[in-house]
Amino acid sequence: MSLLDWLVLCLTLASIIGYGIYRSRRAQNLESYLTGGHSMAWWQVCLSVMATQASAVTFLSGPGQAYTDGMRFVQFYFGLPLAMIVISVTFVPIFHKLNVLTAYEFLEGRFDLKTRTLTSLLFLVPRWLSTGISIYAPSIILSTIFGWDIVSTNLAMGGLLLIYTVLGGSRAVSYTHTQQMFIVLGGMALAGYLVVRLLPGDMGFVDTLRVAGKMGKLNTINWEFNLADRYNVWSGLIGGFFLQLSYFGTDQSQVGRYLGGESIGQSRLGLLMNGIIKIPMQFFILLVGALVFVFYQFEQPPLLFNRAAIETVEHTAEYRELQQQHTRHFSEKKKAVTELSAALKEGNEARIAPLQEQVNTLNKEDAGLRSQAQKLVNAKGGDGNDTNYVFLSFVVEYLPKGVVGLLIAVIFVASMGSIAAAINSLTSSFVVDIYRRMWVRDASERHYVNVSRISTAGWGLLSISVAMYASRVGSLIEAVNILGSLFYGTILGVFIVAFYFRKIGANATFWAAILAEAIVVVCWWLDLTAFLWLNLIGCVALVGIGWLLHLTGMDKKQA
Amino acid sequence: MEDEQEGLPPFVRSWKQLYWLVAANLVALILLFAWFTNAFS
Repeated sequence: MSLLDWLVLCLTLASIIGYGIYRSRRAQNLESYLTGGHSMAWWQVCLSVMATQASAVTFLSGPGQAYTDGMRFVQFYFGLPLAMIVISVTFVPIFHKLNVLTAYEFLEGRFDLKTRTLTSLLFLVPRWLSTGISIYAPSIILSTIFGWDIVSTNLAMGGLLLIYTVLGGSRAVSYTHTQQMFIVLGGMALAGYLVVRLLPGDMGFVDTLRVAGKMGKLNTINWEFNLADRYNVWSGLIGGFFLQLSYFGTDQSQVGRYLGGESIGQSRLGLLMNGIIKIPMQFFILLVGALVFVFYQFEQPPLLFNRAAIETVEHTAEYRELQQQHTRHFSEKKKAVTELSAALKEGNEARIAPLQEQVNTLNKEDAGLRSQAQKLVNAKGGDGNDTNYVFLSFVVEYLPKGVVGLLIAVIFVASMGSIAAAINSLTSSFVVDIYRRMWVRDASERHYVNVSRISTAGWGLLSISVAMYASRVGSLIEAVNILGSLFYGTILGVFIVAFYFRKIGANATFWAAILAEAIVVVCWWLDLTAFLWLNLIGCVALVGIGWLLHLTGMDKKQA
Repeated sequence: MEDEQEGLPPFVRSWKQLYWLVAANLVALILLFAWFTNAFS
């Protein structure tokens, strides 16, 4: 990186940390430390929930996913607006009126302590693991670019955000989110603009879309109902609805954000605006990836985007042979894509179809070469999956000085936003649901704030330790979502029973949660369905089993 | 009891209307994406 890039990066990070420290004042009691004292306007709530969900993973893996798999991932978010509506109607007023600090606090009043604790643990474990993955995501940027040791990089990444998260709690987290989202969206818009500018002179934005579309990268909609297919309209609407409902309704990292709203109305409006903005934002991030894909039809891409992985195999005869084939394919493909682009401009239908077929055949063959190279890396004990490196590699290689620093800052800032919220939520649940409820019940407010600060630092270090092992989990964005899907369905089921099945009591719900979680894990382990459906399975299983157990009289025995 | 209208944007008269607006926006986006996929494929 140039001096200018370093300057942009350091200034951006310093401004976030400085602002976070400035906003750290006034956290005098546990409520203000964990919820920010209910002071957020709707637009702050909206930006805060968006910043919490959109981590560095979103901006690293998203464009890479569009590069390798097209834009179909956008369907994953179709259930989100519907989930925002249900949460605004049901969850928000209940949580606000009961004035709870965590979502799980509500469960003790409705069921009992063991159900509250179980649900809290079902949240804590996956949230801790996924926070580790979220720390690893920006760390690979540093380690790849500068050749830094990954352990030190993870420690540096986690340490920066801990400065203001430990000091200021939820209030500092929410305020920095606002600043972070402006930087992130501005940076990505600039990247999208520059990709189009870097394309050959005669290629405009619409021409680029036409080429991307003909090469199957603009596949935003698939109407086919297929349980084994990860992303289609139905998995997005139904499976995605349950995942987003669980995530926003029962995951403390999100509940903590909208509990910070100054009223029910402000929290509701923040969530509903998120329901309107989120899908276009995700579409735009994926579109940047599709544009990068078209760019690489005219500039030869590396066979693999992860340079560290290439270094492990580049000396082998097999890799050199693959590299030569890749270079030959590229020349042939570039010629065909140029002709296809010209035919599309002219509207020459007779030429378009055969050229499209030729381009896509060459593309498949090249994908085969990439796959073989990935297998070579895997055989050497490395990680061949380079989805997370595609966008980063493009940024470093082709974007001008200053913009590289800004986009690296975007990745950092996005990461800090989601990790800070996650660590704050881990602290909330641990301190409120476990420490204060079961271990030390009647201490002073100051004691709980201090314990919360220690807990925040502790969860930060635990998450960093998970980050050390995150290199082997493939696409990071999918790993985070799969991890969530394993637990969210069950957690959501507990809340659905609490809100809508008043007759089902604590014992039935508790044992139904354990059995439903076992069913979800078995479905995932045996690979019976795409991961989005696990949310539905967990939720439906819990409600169904809970109802059956209730009919057996389990709850009466408790009474 | 908190005012039910508090926080409501000026272009709608009730929360119910805003919920329908969010749902309608989703339908419009899906239709737009379907057009986008067909137009460029």
